[in-house]
Amino acid sequence: MAKSRNGTDIQFAIIGSAGDGTIAAGDIMKRAAALMGYKVIAFDIYPPEIRGFGKCISRIRISSQQTYSLKHKSDVLISLNDSHAIAHVGEVRDFGAVLFEDSPIAAIPEGGHISAHIAAAQVPYGFANRRICEEATGKARSRNIVALGYAAGLFDIPAEIFHEIIAQKFAKKPQAVTDDNIRAFDAGFAAGKATFKLDDVRVGMPQQVANGKDAVMMTGNGAVARGFLEAGIDTYFGYPITPATSIMERLAAALPRAGGRFLQTEDEIAAISATLGAGYAGARAATATSGPGLALMTEMMGLGVMAEVPFVVVVSQRGGPSTGLPTKTEQSDLNLAVFGGSGDARRIVLAPTNVEGCYRCAGMAFEIAEKYQTPVIVLIDLYLSNRFETVIPPRENVFAPKPRIKPELPENQPYRRFALTDDGISPRALPGDEGHMHTVTGLEHNELGRPSDALHQQMNAKRHDKLTSATRYPGLTTCKRFGDEGRVKVGILGWGSTFGEILETMYAAQDEGISCAAMKVVMLSPLPEERINEFFDDCDHILVPELNHEGQFANLVSGALGRPVVRLNRTTGAPMMVDEILAEVRRLAQTGIGEGTHSPVQQQGATT
Amino acid sequence: MNEHVKPVYLEEKLDEIRADGHLAYRSKSLPTWCPGCGYFAMQEGLTIALNRLGIRNEDAVVVSGIGCSSRFPFFVNTYGFHTLHGRTLPVATGVKTANDALTVVAIGGDGDGFAIGGGHIPHAARRNVDMTYMVFDNGIYGLTKGQTSPTTAVGFRSKTTPYANEDQPLHPLMMLLAYRASWVGQAYAGRPHHLADMMEQAIAHRGFSYLHILSPCVTFDKTDRTYANLNMQVQDLPDDHDPTDLMAAMAQAAAHEIPALGLFYREERPTLTDVMNDTAERARNAPAPAE
Ligand SMILES: Cc1ncc(C[n+]2csc(CCOP(=O)(O)OP(=O)(O)O)c2C)c(N)n1
Ligand code: SF4
Ligand SMILES: [Mg+2]
Repeated sequence: MAKSRNGTDIQFAIIGSAGDGTIAAGDIMKRAAALMGYKVIAFDIYPPEIRGFGKCISRIRISSQQTYSLKHKSDVLISLNDSHAIAHVGEVRDFGAVLFEDSPIAAIPEGGHISAHIAAAQVPYGFANRRICEEATGKARSRNIVALGYAAGLFDIPAEIFHEIIAQKFAKKPQAVTDDNIRAFDAGFAAGKATFKLDDVRVGMPQQVANGKDAVMMTGNGAVARGFLEAGIDTYFGYPITPATSIMERLAAALPRAGGRFLQTEDEIAAISATLGAGYAGARAATATSGPGLALMTEMMGLGVMAEVPFVVVVSQRGGPSTGLPTKTEQSDLNLAVFGGSGDARRIVLAPTNVEGCYRCAGMAFEIAEKYQTPVIVLIDLYLSNRFETVIPPRENVFAPKPRIKPELPENQPYRRFALTDDGISPRALPGDEGHMHTVTGLEHNELGRPSDALHQQMNAKRHDKLTSATRYPGLTTCKRFGDEGRVKVGILGWGSTFGEILETMYAAQDEGISCAAMKVVMLSPLPEERINEFFDDCDHILVPELNHEGQFANLVSGALGRPVVRLNRTTGAPMMVDEILAEVRRLAQTGIGEGTHSPVQQQGATT
Repeated sequence: MNEHVKPVYLEEKLDEIRADGHLAYRSKSLPTWCPGCGYFAMQEGLTIALNRLGIRNEDAVVVSGIGCSSRFPFFVNTYGFHTLHGRTLPVATGVKTANDALTVVAIGGDGDGFAIGGGHIPHAARRNVDMTYMVFDNGIYGLTKGQTSPTTAVGFRSKTTPYANEDQPLHPLMMLLAYRASWVGQAYAGRPHHLADMMEQAIAHRGFSYLHILSPCVTFDKTDRTYANLNMQVQDLPDDHDPTDLMAAMAQAAAHEIPALGLFYREERPTLTDVMNDTAERARNAPAPAE
């Protein structure tokens, strides 16, 4: 893989209030970029209050190769409302552009005009947004679209692309709405084109025109729902909770049309209980929740492990503990996902690192759950749930269920649902199968499923060992190494959404001449220990950045391998910053082997 | 043993019983209940009811929670799921939703249903999940060896109320009527023929049927809900009770300090599956949802 990325890599930040059409403008921008064939990652920030005129930010990174994190600095800021945008002028890089309204009839916001805050090295572009809009449409409503047009004209993005997306966006409204918006866009475009350009930002058409039409813009939650639907999900029982709710809402709309069953239950305990009941009866059954919901579900997870019932639980983490930070991202439910519950209850936990991974993990989770007859957790977080990325789904459905093979009935012997076999996987009959009647239980049981303590040790080993081969499940990336091959100075080990920032850090470190590699671990349970261990062997230092206070993944890995790691923990509610990780990588690169395990950054609180 | 007590089954009677086929619904596991426990009548009753209704063994799923009563699935020759304490109903809802062809019977104790699982009952009832829920009410926690339950009488001394229980007991029948269960009845372990009839009717009902079954715990309750006391107390619902009249059913449930046996209430209304089918129909006719 190329060290750093070539080609286009531009990040827009559109900032305004809810009433300014900020998120809508961002949506059009990211869809347009994807249609052009660019790879996109985008993340919207809404005000915490549901109503009102709070701050909205839409950040869109457009690049030739897919990236999995947002840049710390944006190339372009488009202000739709200076009172919100002023605080963010600093995030524009040097020689980057700041676009803002400068028509005299616009009310000057408190704290002055944004132009007063733009630094000398940033390039200001004031334009008469309101006037252009009113002249083009007779109204001032489409100022967000004028701004898009201005940006497209200035940064050389073909107008036709936007026309197509605008027409799609307003397809359900009267034609006049589309016409007005296209007029607004074109007027902005003309103004942008006529502007004397002083910055170095240029988008243009991508060099290799990739199949932009095949690219689908998805959020992590949208990808999960899509993966579920392609896998032929039969039942979804759920209870709303941020940031998982949009999975539920999508399935509420899509599942009844697809012949599945959807029910909003009275709580998470009922949601997982019914999911387990449906899984037991042979359905592809899933639910989704966040940390507080998973806390309620842990007892039933244990029953799923004990009674060997397949089902899928998606967990989108938010800040915790308790009700915590419902609208902020965090990676602090790893312990609960991997270990939560009573007894030794090993289960499968998949933690995708990007939106495509959400799609693949959700799509494959059923098959894996069925193969190993056990619950599967797909662990994501708010940042992954809500951000958009371009995904090109396979043309053929690879997740659809294969026909079931009924177990044979042994002659002159009772059916042994929990037969101890070589691979620990027992023949599974479903209710309705003639002659296989049996009862499953959360009590320890013998091979027939009858309550008995006698085989506890063997049964524990069965339930544990049967999962080990999952670390090499065909068609699933359970862990993967990136960056320099062979021996390196610094290895960054990561999981979940933070891996995007880790990759970015790795490329930056390589550019600085630091020998650096990164490994993402997607399967957190069972842990692909062998390959992680090989990675440790190759690295002078292992750095584990993650969004929690205690270093839950660091603990998991160093506990499993018995090898030390350097931790980098943040719980600011925001994604990790590349600069912070990079500073740590630089420090480690200058440190001898065996030193530097105690990171200065880590004194913030994490324990080793 | 009292010398006047005769063996229950004579040989010829046994043959007759075997011939009717209900024994095929008993499993090979012997019940673990204390001798004399009311639950034996439930095992007999359910096997008779399933046999009479001609439900094939593999098409029945008995789902239970945790408790002496919840051991039930092991003792019948059907599919069974012995789940978690209090989670009988949502698990059963999942089973039925996944495969509507199955006959689903949910079973639990008074503690399992009305204490830890109390939050699920209204929702299974209002949704009219097509299944039968039977609560074996002994007014005590049997499996954990004799603590009070939500249906324990005021004044009862259990291990957790050594100075006598002062909590007002719940009234399960009135609750289920208020929750809009579409079939509500009551039976008693000491009247096994009536019990089997009620089980048969409850399972035959299309929708959520609730059968409350009074049952003595002979080991941990020697004073209150004993066979002797219950035999003297139970009575039939009045002949002229109209089970389609919800207010009459409420009045009957409220009137009886002494429990009345029989069918309190019955109504026909769409089941959860009907509602889901209807939603699917409307969804297919609606425009496609946005990506
Ligand atoms: C979560 C949980 N809490 C507590 C228990 C312990 N427990 C098992 S059965 C039971 C009460 C059983 O009473 P009931 O439901 O009335 O059934 P019975 O034994 O009387 O038939 C309790 C408290 C448990 N198994 N699980
Ligand atoms: S303890 Fe009571 S409820 Fe449990 S089996 Fe014995 S008699 Fe029955
Ligand atoms: Mg009880």
